[in-house]
Amino acid sequence: MTDRLQRQLLFLAPAIVMSAWATVMLHTLLAGHINRLLSPMFRSYVGIAGGALLVLSALYLMLYQANAARVASTWRQLGRWLVLLLPLLAAAALSPAGLSSATASLRSTSTAGVAALPQMSTAGVTDALDTDPNLPAPMQVTDLITVSHTPAMIKKFDGRAVHVIGLFSAGDSPKLMRWIMWCCAADAQPATVKMAGSLGGPWKDQQWLDVTGIARFPSTMGQPIPEIDVTAVKPTDEPDEPFLSP
Amino acid sequence: MFFAAALDLPSKGPPALGISWPDVALSFFAILMEGAPFLLLGAIISGLVDVFLPAGLIKDWLPRSKAQGVFAAMGAGIIFPLCECGAMPIVQRLIRKGVPPAVSLTYMLAAPALNPLAMFSTYLAFRNQDPWLMILLRFLFSAVVLVFLGFWFVRLRPEQMLRADFLMGGKRTDQTPNPTLVLTPRAGASWGGLQQFTGSVIRDFTGVLLFLIIGAAAAAIFSTGFNRNLLAPIGQNILLGPLAGILLAQLLCLCSTTDAFIIAAFTPFSLPAKLAFLVAGPLIDLKLYWLYRSAFKPSLVHGLWLRALGATLVVILLYSFRP
Repeated sequence: MTDRLQRQLLFLAPAIVMSAWATVMLHTLLAGHINRLLSPMFRSYVGIAGGALLVLSALYLMLYQANAARVASTWRQLGRWLVLLLPLLAAAALSPAGLSSATASLRSTSTAGVAALPQMSTAGVTDALDTDPNLPAPMQVTDLITVSHTPAMIKKFDGRAVHVIGLFSAGDSPKLMRWIMWCCAADAQPATVKMAGSLGGPWKDQQWLDVTGIARFPSTMGQPIPEIDVTAVKPTDEPDEPFLSP
Repeated sequence: MFFAAALDLPSKGPPALGISWPDVALSFFAILMEGAPFLLLGAIISGLVDVFLPAGLIKDWLPRSKAQGVFAAMGAGIIFPLCECGAMPIVQRLIRKGVPPAVSLTYMLAAPALNPLAMFSTYLAFRNQDPWLMILLRFLFSAVVLVFLGFWFVRLRPEQMLRADFLMGGKRTDQTPNPTLVLTPRAGASWGGLQQFTGSVIRDFTGVLLFLIIGAAAAAIFSTGFNRNLLAPIGQNILLGPLAGILLAQLLCLCSTTDAFIIAAFTPFSLPAKLAFLVAGPLIDLKLYWLYRSAFKPSLVHGLWLRALGATLVVILLYSFRP
């Protein structure tokens, strides 16, 4: 009886592992957790792969059967299948909602936090130019950094009221931060803009804030550094897309 | 302290390996979610090759000379580009179908390194930093290193390259490096082609998945815990800069289609250091090391690692010291 059970378990193991991978993939996608893991370009692939793995599991059960002969070292072989499953389940269960400030410090590639980013899409900047000049222009942290790369754009935005959402980064001086994801969270890089003026609070590190203020681009060592002269701050919910993608 | 002073960083900055384990879990999960679909795609293509492509036909297509085969493999890498994870099951299948390991290995390295998408992303990432020069140099240097590696592979015998369990299968297409999976066709099920395809895909996917998991874990730990600014002080050095670029590529384990975006932004690095990063990364890194181990002998993978990085360094230094 034990031998038969072992053989059945060994037969079912591939289907269980593939179905579990499919379930984790589809749940991650449908629950929206994928937004903090992958850039939009790669998300649909996870859904397709999840579906394909379910089909493969079903085909496997339809087309194959348990081995009639006694299999040596069954438990060791079952252990190998568990190795394919447990790391995935552990990662899915233990993954936090976002990356911490410790990782932001390690992945930041500039003391200013702005010069190290390549030029992002200018669509946000163009949209901001089209908004009512009497109202704060909705912008991203990366839009302000993009503006800081071009003197002509700096002229247009210096002194302009802006409205920006980001993570509060305490550190030596308060900053507003967004993570930029190129491919997946493992390659995400922080982008920050300095905040000056009265911030209110106290705010927790990595808390989502809705900031309104005046955009400034003071020069540090000959390089314009974007800064928000804050006029109002309030806590806000995490946006649907916690990471920005270029 | 020295590095902090050199960078004008706060002296109480993060330690070199101040790992946040929850962040490692998030990065690990992200790499698995990104890599597994491409691994499955590779396994599906491998299954199609298994069922529909006769071994004799592939042999007819191949040049008679192995040396010419190396160049053919590089051309195939451009015409049939693949990411690093997806290439692995296909390469294993090609070897089982009788394609010489030297040619298969060259294709495995060329598919991500000479990938047109990687060149396009290089253009986008460096569009403010002389993009055409970057594309030209990345492609040229990658091709030179690939030729060097390809001709090294040609000199090796299959038993010096392939794992013992791989060799045991010889040219039989039902053998795989996945000893855990014993497939017994269901009695009465007469789905010949579909059965062969299903078994092939499952064997290849689950056979390489373990190595993706190990590689993803290594990549997550280093991409999260390594302080990138530590390499900044040597990034402009004519000798140490390319070494720093190569080292960073080994630790970050990025896909060839996105690596340019990361390194383009790394202002402390000189152009040769960035080129070293872009040439060495797609050939081998901590994640790929484990993926390659799924089919190839450790001695081959270690030799490949040493030669790929050494050749990259030599090519970049020759460029740096050009008259």
